[in-house]
Amino acid sequence: MALGLIVIYAIGPMRANVLNSTYGANYGANDFFFGQLRSVALSLVAFFIAFKVIPYSFLRKWSKVILIGALALSALLWILSLAGSSLAKCELGECRWFNLGVISFQPAEALKIALVIYLSDFLARKKEEGSIGKWQEFWWPLCLVCGASLGLVVVAQGDLGTGVALIAIILGMLLVAGVPAKQYLIILALILVAVIGFIAFGGHRISRVESWWATLTGSGSTDATYHVENAMLAIGTGGLFGVGIGNSVQATGYLPESINDSIFAILGETFGFVGLILIVAIFAAILLRLLKVADHAPAPSERYLVTGVFAWVLAQVAVNIMAMTSLVPVTGITLPFLSYGGTSMLFISFAIGLSLQISCYTSREVTKNENTSSRRGVGGTRHTSRRRNP
Amino acid sequence: MQRIKTLKKVVLVVFAIIAVRLFFIQIIEHDAWVARADETHTLLETIVAERGEIYMMDAGEPVPVVLNQTVYSVVIDPAVTNREKITDALNKYAKDNISADLDWVFSREGLRYYVVAKNVSHTNASKIAEEGINGVWFKESNQRFYPEGKMASGLLGFVNADGLGQYGVEGSMNHLLAGKNGLLKTISDINNVALSIGNDNVKIAAEDGKDVVLSVDRGLEQRVEELASATVNKTVATHASVLVLEAETNEVLAMANLPNYDPGNYGYVKDASAYTNYVTQVPYEPASVCKSFAFSAAINEGAMNSNTTYFNEHYTTVDGWKIQNASKRASLYGTIDMKKAFYWSLNTASIQALRLLGGDPTSINQAGREKLYDYYYNKFRLGQATGIGLLEAASSIPDPNEGYGRNSTYANMTFGQNLNITMIQTATAFSAVVNGGYYRSPSILKGTLENSKIVPVDSEKTEEQILSFETSATMRDMLINNHYTYTRPGYDIGGKSGTAQMIIDGAYDATMENTVASYAGFVAASGEMPSYVIMVKMWNDTGAYLAGSDAMLLFDDIANYLIDYFQIKPGVV
Repeated sequence: MALGLIVIYAIGPMRANVLNSTYGANYGANDFFFGQLRSVALSLVAFFIAFKVIPYSFLRKWSKVILIGALALSALLWILSLAGSSLAKCELGECRWFNLGVISFQPAEALKIALVIYLSDFLARKKEEGSIGKWQEFWWPLCLVCGASLGLVVVAQGDLGTGVALIAIILGMLLVAGVPAKQYLIILALILVAVIGFIAFGGHRISRVESWWATLTGSGSTDATYHVENAMLAIGTGGLFGVGIGNSVQATGYLPESINDSIFAILGETFGFVGLILIVAIFAAILLRLLKVADHAPAPSERYLVTGVFAWVLAQVAVNIMAMTSLVPVTGITLPFLSYGGTSMLFISFAIGLSLQISCYTSREVTKNENTSSRRGVGGTRHTSRRRNP
Repeated sequence: MQRIKTLKKVVLVVFAIIAVRLFFIQIIEHDAWVARADETHTLLETIVAERGEIYMMDAGEPVPVVLNQTVYSVVIDPAVTNREKITDALNKYAKDNISADLDWVFSREGLRYYVVAKNVSHTNASKIAEEGINGVWFKESNQRFYPEGKMASGLLGFVNADGLGQYGVEGSMNHLLAGKNGLLKTISDINNVALSIGNDNVKIAAEDGKDVVLSVDRGLEQRVEELASATVNKTVATHASVLVLEAETNEVLAMANLPNYDPGNYGYVKDASAYTNYVTQVPYEPASVCKSFAFSAAINEGAMNSNTTYFNEHYTTVDGWKIQNASKRASLYGTIDMKKAFYWSLNTASIQALRLLGGDPTSINQAGREKLYDYYYNKFRLGQATGIGLLEAASSIPDPNEGYGRNSTYANMTFGQNLNITMIQTATAFSAVVNGGYYRSPSILKGTLENSKIVPVDSEKTEEQILSFETSATMRDMLINNHYTYTRPGYDIGGKSGTAQMIIDGAYDATMENTVASYAGFVAASGEMPSYVIMVKMWNDTGAYLAGSDAMLLFDDIANYLIDYFQIKPGVV
């Protein structure tokens, strides 16, 4: 987050300048920095609340309400946007934000955490009942919930990025919940068919795939390939050590969404290969840590929750970075902790906080049971894990 | 748990792919991307030097007649700009400046930058900016502004769309006016705004052009053009050119070519000949005006004087060619003196002068031809560029010893035919005839203006006494005697007219229906050296009869005005 702040501080004025001169907007030089500072502060608060204040058991108890609330928010946004209300903030024809005066809020981000919490409870209950994999008790309600979430996000808000994250969350949690392999593969196949169909029948999506293919194979540049080409130009010019903070040229308007979805490319230009590998390694470490927490979570519901968070972060990180390096087609998805954008950072921080809370339960229980001296938070899990699984 | 291990593998594989991909892009392809970045980011821009302004003199002070003003190009990003809004704004504030087909601009895919209007004034550009339309920029540039409108357009020339001086002073003094463009090589943002990022940025400052001061007097130029325009309207002439020289220095005080064009809208001129400065660029035959030169040569060589007589038969035969006088009145038949013959502009008299120059009153010989050539070409420098610093034509004088019909050619030259010379050459030579015999290079560039001071510009100047003081005095007497129209007590006004046959299809038009009228003269306080030399040329571009006396009327108007304008004190009569 600190890294994100530094980079936003460096390129924020450039972004403001580009927006001001191109679109006649009126941003101050440090508006983006203070915006990000505010997001970071809020995120830290959210992280702390999730970590220390709200017990997971409480959230689990209210998981249905939370999900219904989150779905209702998304539905409300959709209705507002259809009604043309100024409360719905639209950019480029997609209405994804509530406009609340000084701040704007993206309900799709809330839906992600709500879905994770709900599914953790749902899957744990089904596990107890032993009804996982059964059509009536398991698949039917699951499809209803997931279908409603995906429908509201992907169809109503046109937000493919969040859709990818949601699918990843669902798939990740299902996998760990122990859905029979055959059924799991069928689900995978169905989703694949659905995605292909969705791409094929959505006019601008097929062109994105085409432009991705064009960039990957280097077969000519068009307007459609502009975004990825400039992302790769930024990353490529970074070289081994980067051009240094504040020296990014691509951020001066060449690279679209330089402070949000494309921040990875600017990081690449600024800090070079070494910096990016470090960033990627930190993400990998966080993800592997989450897996470890999941592995040693005391209860199935907690395991599913952490897996959901893991899948969520993995989806965002992998899809974002791979889009910037032209490994997958571009979808609008943020890079956790680094991109400019408050809602996303807020909820991911909350989710990570929740996962840490669970890791603490683990260590506390272990401490109680096995009387080890290691109780330093997450560090304890590693210690205990070795003991538990020799 | 097995399935979590699978997820771990997924993480490792995904991040391994990413790491390899990053290595590929950032390390292996690094140079290629840097090269491409240079291509995209580098802005190579010329820092345009500001063009010098042009001044004329007024009451001894330089005053600007060609200024720079800042104008704006309107640039839009068709992907962002609202089509209706920008179209409305342009139609409202800059209709005449629209330089692009907006339908085309908005139909081109991927067009992100296009100039849609040029030369928009500051006021109108501000109004368009106030509309607050997205994706609209303004680019500054300089445009010439002419506070005196069309005045002296043929002399001044114009600056074309590429910023190059064309014709006139703008064209021939471009080296002074243009200055030296600087260079800016820098990393730029997407709107081509230079950034301070990068170490290879280069900036070479532009050297602005110099302001040039012409010796031309603004008030006189204005009035001369008004008078010429009035005369053109009164007569069958379509064109008139006027040159006023300060007789002592041969500095140009007025140089007019009518009709004028609007240099601010030079593009509307249909025929490029309208840009021509006839005074310096177009050689012609000034006809009998040249008798002043033939007479000066013979008198200066002591071969004759104003009282020398010969027998006038209204014609004379040279090499078997019968050359007629224009005036054949009976009173002129018989023995006549040169002063009277000059007054009546008899061709037989100037041919007689050529004969006398060769020492044989009965025929033209080699010595006469060589002497005339020496005076015309070497002394009066007829046919030679004067070095005035404007675009000018040079021509040649027929060789005295080569070619068929040399004697008739030289006989014609005495009354200004068979030679092509410009007005500036003729007037400079005429100045030598009346100013005491000095040939001085004419000049129009007083200097450059630096810190409000006029700094002279070095140039090669010729000053040579080619006629004796006495010859010049004799010629002045005869020229004053010639001038029969306008007189003013206390002033000596003299001159010589010329009515030239037009050359049609390479031969003289014998009908005399289409002629070019010329008059060269001077103004002096009585008994003193001439102050100003004035030369006038009038013609009709499709052909009409104009006599030298028509040109003389315009000369008179100008001479009269000059006396008052420069407050020439009357001499003692």
